[in-house]
Amino acid sequence: MRIVSFLEDTAGSAKKIFSKFSIEGKIGVCGIALIVAIAILAPLISGYSPAKITGGSLEAPSSTHLLGTDELGMDIWSQICYGARMSLFIGLAVALIAGIGGGALGILAGCLGGTVDQLLMRSVDILLALPSFPLLIVISAFMGPSIFNVILILVFFSWAKPARIIRSQTLSIKTNTYITAAKNFGATPFYLLRRHILPEVLPVLFVSIISITSYAIIAETGLAFLGLGDPTSKSWGMMLHYATGFKSIYFTPFWQWWLIPPLVALIFLLLCLAFIGRDLEQVLDPRLRQAGGA
Amino acid sequence: MALLEVTDLKCSYALDEACVRAVDGISFSVNPGEIIGIVGESGSGKTTTALSIMHLLGDKANVSGKIVYNGQDISALPEKEMDRLRWTEIAMVFQNGLEVLNPVMTVGTQVAEPMQKHCNISPDAAKVRCADLFSKVGLDRSWMDAYPHQLSGGMRQRVLLAMALSCDPKLLILDEVTSAVDAFTRKEIRELLYDLQCSRGMSMIIISHDLSFVSSLASNLIVLYSGRVVECGPTRALINGPRHPYSRGLVNATPDIFIYKDLWGIPGDTAGDTPTGCPFYKRCTQAIEQCRQSPPSLKPCGEGREIACHRGGIATLMKAADLRFRYTLPDKKTLQALDGVDLEVHEGEVLAVVGQTGSGKSTLAHVLAGILCPEKGTVLFQEGNVHEGHNGHRFGGIQIVFQDPFTSTSNRFTVQDAVREPLDINRIGNPDERLARTRDVLELVRLPSTAQFLDRYCSELSGGQRQRVALARALIMKPRLLIADEITSALDVSTAANILRLLKGLQNRRGFAMIYISHDLTLTLKIADRIAVMNAGRIVETGNAHDVMLAPHDEYTKRLVGSRIGLCCHEHPHKPEGTAPEKTPAVLSGEDRQ
Repeated sequence: MRIVSFLEDTAGSAKKIFSKFSIEGKIGVCGIALIVAIAILAPLISGYSPAKITGGSLEAPSSTHLLGTDELGMDIWSQICYGARMSLFIGLAVALIAGIGGGALGILAGCLGGTVDQLLMRSVDILLALPSFPLLIVISAFMGPSIFNVILILVFFSWAKPARIIRSQTLSIKTNTYITAAKNFGATPFYLLRRHILPEVLPVLFVSIISITSYAIIAETGLAFLGLGDPTSKSWGMMLHYATGFKSIYFTPFWQWWLIPPLVALIFLLLCLAFIGRDLEQVLDPRLRQAGGA
Repeated sequence: MALLEVTDLKCSYALDEACVRAVDGISFSVNPGEIIGIVGESGSGKTTTALSIMHLLGDKANVSGKIVYNGQDISALPEKEMDRLRWTEIAMVFQNGLEVLNPVMTVGTQVAEPMQKHCNISPDAAKVRCADLFSKVGLDRSWMDAYPHQLSGGMRQRVLLAMALSCDPKLLILDEVTSAVDAFTRKEIRELLYDLQCSRGMSMIIISHDLSFVSSLASNLIVLYSGRVVECGPTRALINGPRHPYSRGLVNATPDIFIYKDLWGIPGDTAGDTPTGCPFYKRCTQAIEQCRQSPPSLKPCGEGREIACHRGGIATLMKAADLRFRYTLPDKKTLQALDGVDLEVHEGEVLAVVGQTGSGKSTLAHVLAGILCPEKGTVLFQEGNVHEGHNGHRFGGIQIVFQDPFTSTSNRFTVQDAVREPLDINRIGNPDERLARTRDVLELVRLPSTAQFLDRYCSELSGGQRQRVALARALIMKPRLLIADEITSALDVSTAANILRLLKGLQNRRGFAMIYISHDLTLTLKIADRIAVMNAGRIVETGNAHDVMLAPHDEYTKRLVGSRIGLCCHEHPHKPEGTAPEKTPAVLSGEDRQ
């Protein structure tokens, strides 16, 4: 019952938030929906397997191969479809793990305070101070390319921000006297978390999950582009890696259908996320402004 | 030796079927030259007491008990001998009314009549004396030839007084002599009675519900309720510190005693019949099971006072001793917010804690509510330690309402969620009961209890409404002690006034005790019974709200009282010499009004 009503609430507030979005924000939501649909329906709409040679090498776009083929004769459109899966999967996985984990740590630090808080916040300080991308490259090169490793490394570098935001949010909620009142009525920490703290921090957490998603997608693409991604995976970053790795691609017309599609897809996805993130932040701005503390 | 001694006087009226007990075992004595006051609401048996002393109750009344006048038991005296005592020894001034005087005789004749009859004075001499008496009570002698209906109420009362004085009695019984007269006459009558007592050493029994009139004359007071003495003792002590909840109610309902305060009567009506228990049981704010079962007897409680209460008078609800609390500031310095606070809160009273910002008031509120733990000292609430018990979790405990209405309820909560939160947390009742209680308590704080309002978000409400919601949330737990921490400081004047009146009304009706914390002295005077003045973590002065305001002892209190800004029409002393707070207009105007 409670879960159902919670879901209804969430759906209701999602609708409300969507109605407050600007046109760009709405485009963003639709774009994401489109990409998600493509990713989910990839086997149905791609027509070919992305890892099979289904045509001649470097064919121009035609009715058989919508976006042409790459050097090995694999269908580009199919690779884009399946690559969307990879990009979204890595982006969301990193964002959810880092967001939820970081958020939980933030709440913990905010609620407990003291040594736990100090310890967590100093680690956050260190993580935020480190230059993440060079380290990312070094570590992933050291650990070897695999999706799991990529996710792990990205999570490691992205949990600090939500943790800090959520901690300050929790601290500011804690100063409200309704918390004191509830405690005086005998509320358990679990009750406070469920009824007061979580509902307040979730929207903020959502915004930061979206920004982590963008970050993770960019980072994954970057790593793949540098050749540090999983070579067996079909991601947009790997496509870029192979395309740019093809000697003198710019002197041939191949870049038009080999390099441009993953690039456009990537930019489109990131733009959509950016639009959504920006609008969400605006809609939830009054809450963000409350945030205080370190 | 006492002039009049009444022991265990009982008096009941036999009606057709039932028997109404008007006086139920009253004992008191009047010494020569002493003035005794008998006070109580209407129907408490005051007049019956007077009439039974005078043997004027008639056949339907059944009187028992001993009445000794001047060494002689007059309780069973035959009518003929009693008649000799009346007027010459004991005279009674009746409550003014047209039916008391004979409408077809001039008032002069009526005043002269008892003199001729009892003192064997000739009609002419009586007439002369009558004229004397008239001038003495402040009536022009030309009125002697007037008929009662030609006189005003105040004049008739004077005639009755003249009549009672005509035979120069030793004991005067005055029954509600001031209830129908204007303030000037009232004061004149008071002066007259005072003179009579001083010059002739006349003893008096003054019966009245007018506590200020009685207390200005009587040296001892007897408080009657439902024909029983609930409290008696020296006037000053009783007025300043009534021990019985009923006496306190009477004192609080008297405008002259707390001139700043709003008037609040004792809630409820006089109990028709409480055959077994304490007569005040139904209206009492601190009744316990024993009060329902057996009536309390009058017991001495020190300083010549006696009280009839199973709980020994107004009980102490909360007692805090030597509270200390320190805040640690970021730069490792500490701030002593509470520095040895001792405090007592009695059942059903409003204690105001007043002080400037930063004096530790809110900290005190939080410590008393059990939210903060003091470094040192204990807070006892109903004999249990506040910091060990769970007084906020249960009915009849302590609840606190906070200063800022905008943070004391969550923006995301609907009115219903917010108000029923304590029930939800403590899993009290099923959802329907919770909803019913929510509606009840919303009506109590005068908010709509419609489904539409219940589903409104707190963020959509105004400050005043949200403060009411917070109040409702506290009241849903039916507290015995409500701590209101600056609850009106965030609200505009009108809203604040509404909230304050609402709160005081609820307090009065439901009988919970309240600690009202405020920096606004003027506002607290409207509702407080007692005031504790706080400065730098200490309580510098505690006392009756009236006394603290009019006669502050502590330097800080004087400054606080003097810090009030008068209105444009008041005099503003710019840089008064020596800044003597006694000279500030605020205090002067108070005294003038008194």
